[in-house]
Amino acid sequence: MIVPLEHLLILSTTLFFLGLVCVLVRRNLIMILIGVEVMLNAVGLTLVGASSFWQQLDGQIMVIFLMAMTSAEVSISLAMVVYLNRRKQSIDIRSFDEMRG
Amino acid sequence: MLALVLILPLVGGLFNACFGSRLPRPLQALIASGAVFASFLAALACWPQATGAGLHVNLFTWLQSGGFTAEVGLLFDPLAAIMTLMVTGVAGLIHIYAASYMADEHDQARFFALLNLFVFAMLTIILADNLLLMFLGWEGVGFCSYALIGFWYRKAENARAGRKAFIVTRIGDLFFTVGLLWLFSLFGTIGIEAINGRAAELDPTTLTIISLLLLGGACGKSAQLPLMSWLPDAMAGPTPVSALIHAATMVTAGVYLLCRMFPLVSLSTMALDVIAVVGMLTALYAATCALAQTEIKRVLAYSTMSQVGYMFLAVGLGSVSAAMFHLLTHAFFKALLFMGAGCIIQLAGHENNIFLMGGLRKRSRSVFWLFLIGLLCLAGAPLTDGFFSKDLILATAFAHGDPFHLSLYGLGVLTAGLTSLYSFRLAYLVFGGDYRGEELPHAVSKVMIWTLVPLGISGLAGGFLNLPHFIGGHAWLSHWLGRDNEVPNLSLQTEYYLLALAFGTFLLGWLIAHLRYHRFVEREPGPVSGFFLSGWRCDAFFDRLLIRPFRQLCRFCWQGVDLALIDGLVESFSRACFVWGHVLRYLADGKISRYLQSFAWGLLLIVSWFLLRAIA
Repeated sequence: MIVPLEHLLILSTTLFFLGLVCVLVRRNLIMILIGVEVMLNAVGLTLVGASSFWQQLDGQIMVIFLMAMTSAEVSISLAMVVYLNRRKQSIDIRSFDEMRG
Repeated sequence: MLALVLILPLVGGLFNACFGSRLPRPLQALIASGAVFASFLAALACWPQATGAGLHVNLFTWLQSGGFTAEVGLLFDPLAAIMTLMVTGVAGLIHIYAASYMADEHDQARFFALLNLFVFAMLTIILADNLLLMFLGWEGVGFCSYALIGFWYRKAENARAGRKAFIVTRIGDLFFTVGLLWLFSLFGTIGIEAINGRAAELDPTTLTIISLLLLGGACGKSAQLPLMSWLPDAMAGPTPVSALIHAATMVTAGVYLLCRMFPLVSLSTMALDVIAVVGMLTALYAATCALAQTEIKRVLAYSTMSQVGYMFLAVGLGSVSAAMFHLLTHAFFKALLFMGAGCIIQLAGHENNIFLMGGLRKRSRSVFWLFLIGLLCLAGAPLTDGFFSKDLILATAFAHGDPFHLSLYGLGVLTAGLTSLYSFRLAYLVFGGDYRGEELPHAVSKVMIWTLVPLGISGLAGGFLNLPHFIGGHAWLSHWLGRDNEVPNLSLQTEYYLLALAFGTFLLGWLIAHLRYHRFVEREPGPVSGFFLSGWRCDAFFDRLLIRPFRQLCRFCWQGVDLALIDGLVESFSRACFVWGHVLRYLADGKISRYLQSFAWGLLLIVSWFLLRAIA
C-alpha cells in the first residue's frame, strides 16, 4: 500500500465532517445534497482503503454498489429539487416547513 | 281443598291484573271479593281437619339441591286454621267495603289485583309448613303493602310513605333471613315442625340469638320498636288498605311468626323477656303518641302499634293463646275502626283532621254506633272482646308474680288507661259538639255501613271465643290451640280484683277524656303534645342517626371516591397525555435543518457508544 491507512482515515474523516457541516449549515437544498455526496464518498474512500489494507475485495465491491446507489439517489433528489423549486420558486429549506406538528 | 284456600285469591289477583282493566268496574270488585269469600268458604270446609297436629298437604317440590329441599307444603293446624278464617273473613268484608269506597277511583283493577295478591301472600305466611315458603309470603305482603300504600303514587308523599314502609320492613326481613339461614345450617331442614321438634338440641346462646333474629323480623313487619316508624306514614294509602294490611292482617304477621316458632322461642327465657319488653315498650310508646295525633287514621295507626305491642307482650309471657286471642279480637275491632274511619272521612268531606270534624253523630247514627263499638272494644270496655283479651294478657303477666312481670303488668295497666283516654278523645272530637269543618258532607253508601255490622257483632261477641273459666266460660280458644295450661291460674278473688282494676283504668281514661274533650276548646299544642305528635321525634332521631350519616357516606362515595378519585385518575391521565403531546409536538416543527441536526446528534451518540465499547 502506497499511502498509509492512517492518512487515508484522516482524509476520509475530514471529508465526512466537512460534508456533515455542509449538510447542517447550508440552507441551499443543492448544497445539502452535495454535502451528502461528500459524506457518502468519504465512507466509500474508507471502504476502499480498508479493503486494500486487509487485501480483501469486499470493500471495493461495496463501493461499486455505493456508487450505483448514489447515482440513483442523486437523480431522484435532483428531480425532487426541481419539483420543489417549481412549487415554491425557491430551494431554501426554510421555506419547506409546513410538515410541523 | 286446602290448596283452594291459597289458590283462589292468587287466581283472582292474577286475573284482575291481566284482564281486569278491560272488564266493567263492578265485575273487577266482584271477582276480587268473590275469590276471597270462596277462599273463606274453602277454609271453613277444611276446618274440621285442623285438629291435633293438623292437616298436612304437600303441593309440589319447589327446589331440590343436595340435602336441601323446599316443598310448597301447607300446614293447617289449629293455629293456622284460626288465622286463615280470620284473614279470609275480615279480608272478604274489606273487599266488599273497598268496592264501594273505591268506586270513583281510577285503576280499580290494579287495586283489587294487589289486594287479592296481598291476601294470597298473607295466607302463604299462615299456611306455609316451612320457613322458606313463609318467607316468600312474608316478602309478598311487604311488596303488596308497598304498592298499596303508594296506590295514589302521583302524590310524592304517598310514594315516599310506601318506600319507607318497604325499606323499614326490609331491615326486619334481613334479621328473619339470617335466622332462617342459620336454622337451616344447624338442622339441614327448613320445615317448621322439624325445627320446632329439634329446637331443644341447640345450645342456649345460639337459641337466644336465633330467637332474637326472629324477633327482629317480627318487629319489622309488626311495627314494633325500633322499626315502628313506617306504620303511621303508611296511612297515606287508601283506607281499606289500612284496614286490611295495617290493622287486621299484615302487622300481626310478626306475632304469628313468633307463635309459629314458639316451641323454639320459648326455650330461651331471655328471648321471651326481650319480646315482652319490646312489646310493652311499644304499647306504651304508641299509646302516648296516639294521645296527640290530629289525623284520625294516625290515631288508629298508633293504637294498632300499641295493641300489637300487647300481643308481643303476651308471646313474651309465654302465652300463645292470649296473643292469638288478642290478635283475633284486635283484627275484628281494628278493621271495624278503620272502615268506620273511612266512613267518617267521607262524612266529613274527605277530611282527615279530627279537629275539623265534630258533631258527626248527627250526620250518621249508624256510623256513630258502629265506630263507638270499635272504640269501646279498643278501650277495653267490659264485656267487649278487647276487654277479655287484654285482661287475659294482663292476668297472665300478673300470674307470673315476680317483680319483672309485675312491672310489665303495671305498665300494661297504664297503657290500658292511655288507650281508653285516646279512644274517648277520638270519640269526643269526632262525634261530640258541632261540626267544625267547612267541607260539605258526603253521603256514605249503605254497602260500606253494612260491612261494618258483622265486624261490630264479632267485636261485641268476640270475647266468647275465650271466655275465662271464672265467669262461666270455657276458654275455648286456649283449648282449641291445645294450650289449656296457659290459662292463668289465679284465685277467683284475684281475678275479680284484676277485672275491677281494668274496669277502673277504663273508667279513669274515659273520665279524663270527658273532662278534657267533651266541650271542644281550641288549644295551642304544647311542647309535650308536639313531642307525642311527632312520635317522640323518632323520625328526626333516625334521620340524625342513620339517614344523614348514610347521605354523607353516599356523598363521600359520589364526590370523594367517584368524582375525585376515579374520575380524577382517568382525567389526569388524559390531561397528562395531552400536555406531553403538546410538548412533544415541538420536536416535529417542520424545520428540516433541525431534523438534520438531530440526525447528527444521533450519529454522535452511536459513534461514541461504539467508541466507549471499544475502549472498555
